Amino acid sequence: MNTASPLIAASRVSQIYAGRDGSPTWALRDVSLQIGRGEFVCLIGPSGCGKTTLLHLVAGFVTPTSGTVSFAGKPIAGPGPERVVVFQEYALFNWMTARQNVEFGLRTRGLGRKERRELALGALERVNLRHAADRYPHELSGGMRQRVAVARALVVEPEVLLMDEPFAAVDAMTRQALQEDLLRLWQEIGISVIFVTHNVDEAAFLAQRVIVMGAHPGNIRADLAIDAPHPRDRGSAEFAGLYAVVADALATHTRRAS
Amino acid sequence: MSLASSEQSLIPAEKQATADFEQTFKADHRRRHRNAALWRVALNVLGIVLFVIVWELTPRYSSWINEVLFPPPSQVFRTFIPMFLSGEILENIRVSLVRAASGFAVALVLGIAAGVITARVKALQYLAEPLLHGFRSIPAIALIPLCILWFGIGEVSKIALIAWGAFFPLWITTFIGVRDVNPIYLRSAACLGAGRVTTLFLVVLPAALPFILTGIRQALSISLVVLVAAEMSGASSGIAHMMSEGHQLFRVDIMFIGLVVLGTFGFIVDRLFVAVARRLFPWYQITS
Repeated sequence: MNTASPLIAASRVSQIYAGRDGSPTWALRDVSLQIGRGEFVCLIGPSGCGKTTLLHLVAGFVTPTSGTVSFAGKPIAGPGPERVVVFQEYALFNWMTARQNVEFGLRTRGLGRKERRELALGALERVNLRHAADRYPHELSGGMRQRVAVARALVVEPEVLLMDEPFAAVDAMTRQALQEDLLRLWQEIGISVIFVTHNVDEAAFLAQRVIVMGAHPGNIRADLAIDAPHPRDRGSAEFAGLYAVVADALATHTRRAS
Repeated sequence: MSLASSEQSLIPAEKQATADFEQTFKADHRRRHRNAALWRVALNVLGIVLFVIVWELTPRYSSWINEVLFPPPSQVFRTFIPMFLSGEILENIRVSLVRAASGFAVALVLGIAAGVITARVKALQYLAEPLLHGFRSIPAIALIPLCILWFGIGEVSKIALIAWGAFFPLWITTFIGVRDVNPIYLRSAACLGAGRVTTLFLVVLPAALPFILTGIRQALSISLVVLVAAEMSGASSGIAHMMSEGHQLFRVDIMFIGLVVLGTFGFIVDRLFVAVARRLFPWYQITS
């Protein structure tokens, strides 16, 4: 990874929400983080650790209470197609077919109807869903919907894919297939991925780097480099080792002092 | 199609048997569906027939019902034929239809526009809120005398009343639908690079559509109610005007014709609404 010019840099970022009675809650406190081009990073931690908040800061949905988050050297001012988010579920426009969903991000680019259609079909092809191009989201399974969501994100050629527990709502077998496909696409395209999860197995299987976060206040507790090559074999002793490292870090660093 | 792998292992005779069995199963299934549908239609028709028979027999064979005040369907039909052939009824239907449609169309445009604007611009919402809610509470029928004073008994006054009545359900449902659009949709649109106009027409309005359609349906039925009230209190044509004439001439049969026309009218409008909504918004079926 190239830390000299990181793609994404957060420096001393804090995010405070007002609670119901107006008292401040530190979703993130003094978080600094650099992510390089082409990196596959997993953010893992218990609920309330600020992993989704951090993702939303990078997406530009919220601005930090203090500190700065920058993308390619410039502060992030709002959402943009170089940083596309794939949500957990229900983010596909259910009034559009799979193809129309994928075409949505291409509408602002001044492309012809035919060109748009071809790009969209190509993107669906990449996630093996070309045959479902004319189906509506309610006619697709949960796994297929997430594939369409990935195609919709990739078609605008983002530099980083921000994934917010994207496979949490699908069954275990589908999830593994989706993970393998995501790795394949990541290797083909060379895009950066920030992947939020609370699943140790998912982090150990996917990430080059696992960032362990803890709550109260939300911040980074450990930053683990995982240099095992992809694809990783879930049945192997090495994978068991990776799993143990991540699980152990999560257990040690997020245990709350009581 | 999922049989492909198991079919490989079957010998031809078994394959033939399976195909035959599936054929019979399919035919059976279709027959059962068709019979169920026919049964339903038959009962629907029977219900109407029974109603007409009871209506026909009651005034004829009971001593406590006056045939002049409660004419049987045969007599209503005898009155209907010449009125229909002379074109009188069709003309009245046409006049009423044009009024209802014009008022509704005005309300549709203004109501949806007002709903979108007040839901998207907080300052305008707060500014308009008390006025809109205040006016909304006034039944449109209460404005009829005023409307006649201002606009006379011509078309303008009727269209304005219908538009007024239909405006509020459209405004309130559009407002709620647009205000409550799932933020994930808006965020998805924003990070895919969509601008305000694209987001409004391709995301916000379709997402609010289930609410807007509910408003349209309410507005359609309110349009009919206001139409009748407006025509009854001052008009020289229209279905409800025809009924008031029947009233003045002591012709209950003419009033009955008006009721049947209005009922049919409302029923057809509602069916038409459902059919058009299904047709235009195939994805909406799951939630309707």
